[in-house]
Amino acid sequence: MSKVIVVTSGKGGVGKTTSSAAFAAGLASKGHKTAVIDFDVGLRNLDLIMGVERRVVYDFVNVINGESTLKQALIKDKRVENLYILPASQTRDKDALNKEGVESVINELKADDFDYIVCDSPAGIEKGAFMALYFADEAIVVTNPEVSSVRDSDRILGILQSRSKVAEEGGTVKEHLLITRYSPERVEGGDMLSKEDIQEILSIPLLGVIPESGSVLQASNSGNPVIMDKESQAGQAYMDVVSRFLGEDIPLRFVEPEEKKGFFKKLFG
Amino acid sequence: MQLKGEMSMLNVLHIQDTDVSEICSKLEQKRDEAPQFFMQSPIVIDGSELSGNALEFDFSALKQGLLDLGFIPVGSRNFPPAANNLMRESGWAIMRDQQSTSSVSKSEPVQKNQVKDSPVEESKENINTAPQTNPVAVMKNQMTVDRPVRSGQQVYAENSDMTVLSPTSAGSEIMADGSIHIYGALRGRVLAGARGNESARIYCQSLQAELIAIAGRYQLLDESDTTLKGKPAMIRLDGEKLVIEAL
Repeated sequence: MSKVIVVTSGKGGVGKTTSSAAFAAGLASKGHKTAVIDFDVGLRNLDLIMGVERRVVYDFVNVINGESTLKQALIKDKRVENLYILPASQTRDKDALNKEGVESVINELKADDFDYIVCDSPAGIEKGAFMALYFADEAIVVTNPEVSSVRDSDRILGILQSRSKVAEEGGTVKEHLLITRYSPERVEGGDMLSKEDIQEILSIPLLGVIPESGSVLQASNSGNPVIMDKESQAGQAYMDVVSRFLGEDIPLRFVEPEEKKGFFKKLFG
Repeated sequence: MQLKGEMSMLNVLHIQDTDVSEICSKLEQKRDEAPQFFMQSPIVIDGSELSGNALEFDFSALKQGLLDLGFIPVGSRNFPPAANNLMRESGWAIMRDQQSTSSVSKSEPVQKNQVKDSPVEESKENINTAPQTNPVAVMKNQMTVDRPVRSGQQVYAENSDMTVLSPTSAGSEIMADGSIHIYGALRGRVLAGARGNESARIYCQSLQAELIAIAGRYQLLDESDTTLKGKPAMIRLDGEKLVIEAL
């Protein structure tokens, strides 16, 4: 059974595209046929983050308008087996999306035996974000430990539960909280919201915490999803997230401040 | 096009007897005391205190009289249903019957120099214009909300109490004609007694609301000096004032 998962947040710049790329790559690396779709028509980034920007011939809007087939537009990833990317259009805007078109693309992917269809949502609550979440079975709500991000995530949760297709049919979209750019030191210092604070405000199950990490920028620059950087904390945290999503019980890592070494400890190890 | 529910302040003219010219002359006196305030102000006529036969009341004359005085007749309410056709033919819009939310009582003259049994009694009220279809009666129903009420969402329990089993987020709005019980943190705006029920109360496990209101009297929580912020609290209306007490 195919599952459609939307990666959304409301707020911009919190890590949706980074997370979509990492999450999709992680699922595919575990053997599941995964497609990741960029819904940010006009401001596409998913292709950049995944390093396939020079391989884009046709895009999502071309497929919706019947100007190309889905097979022509889907880009097969060269590093990870089972991973396919459907880029957005750069020249058009979100008005080019419509429910019927999006539905038909998703149905075609389902018919092609994709296990997971990850929808990378744009920021905001208007058409692009709405199209990305409308057909979702599950949602990963990406939130920074920061007040505006938490409020915007709350807003998008409300929209998910009232205006998605699943909600219109009386069901519930399964919600997952993904906290990104977490700094345990700043939480301890009282500057930053803790994961407990965020969970208390949003009341949805915590899928994982991704620590703030320089490796994310390096990953975007090199066009490799950060999950492929096995040395980085962020990459490892994303791997944990994928495993947790697939049912494994893995404790949270990188959520405690690093131990401060005293003078003598520093000397003698 | 958007249709939104709003609270608005409307003047309500309680009609006590059927002499239209008497009503208009008293109203003219009242108007002249504060012409800027009353000029072009919307007015609703209320028949709950009418002694005398509504069917003998000249609704057309009153409507014209009000227009001549510079009021804007908005609608009529609390008149006997037998008079409905008469009101419609005179061009009066029939509004849902509603209790008066004003605390001005009948025996108290509105103005010191007015005759005690004046045929005109005017009161300022908050009238909730949210979509409704039934007159307010005893709270018959119970609405239960078991999912968090998110920022930007509005929930309205018509003619009933509301019980919320999850926290409500900042930026959400909960409204009920009856009382509101929240088994969780109350963070958004909460409006109980939305159609004028002054005995409605608000109960919550953690008071973090932005705005609290009962029967139209509202208060920003930040502007109230209460020690119960973040604690279990009950809010009720005492006269015109909202009282916050520990649960």
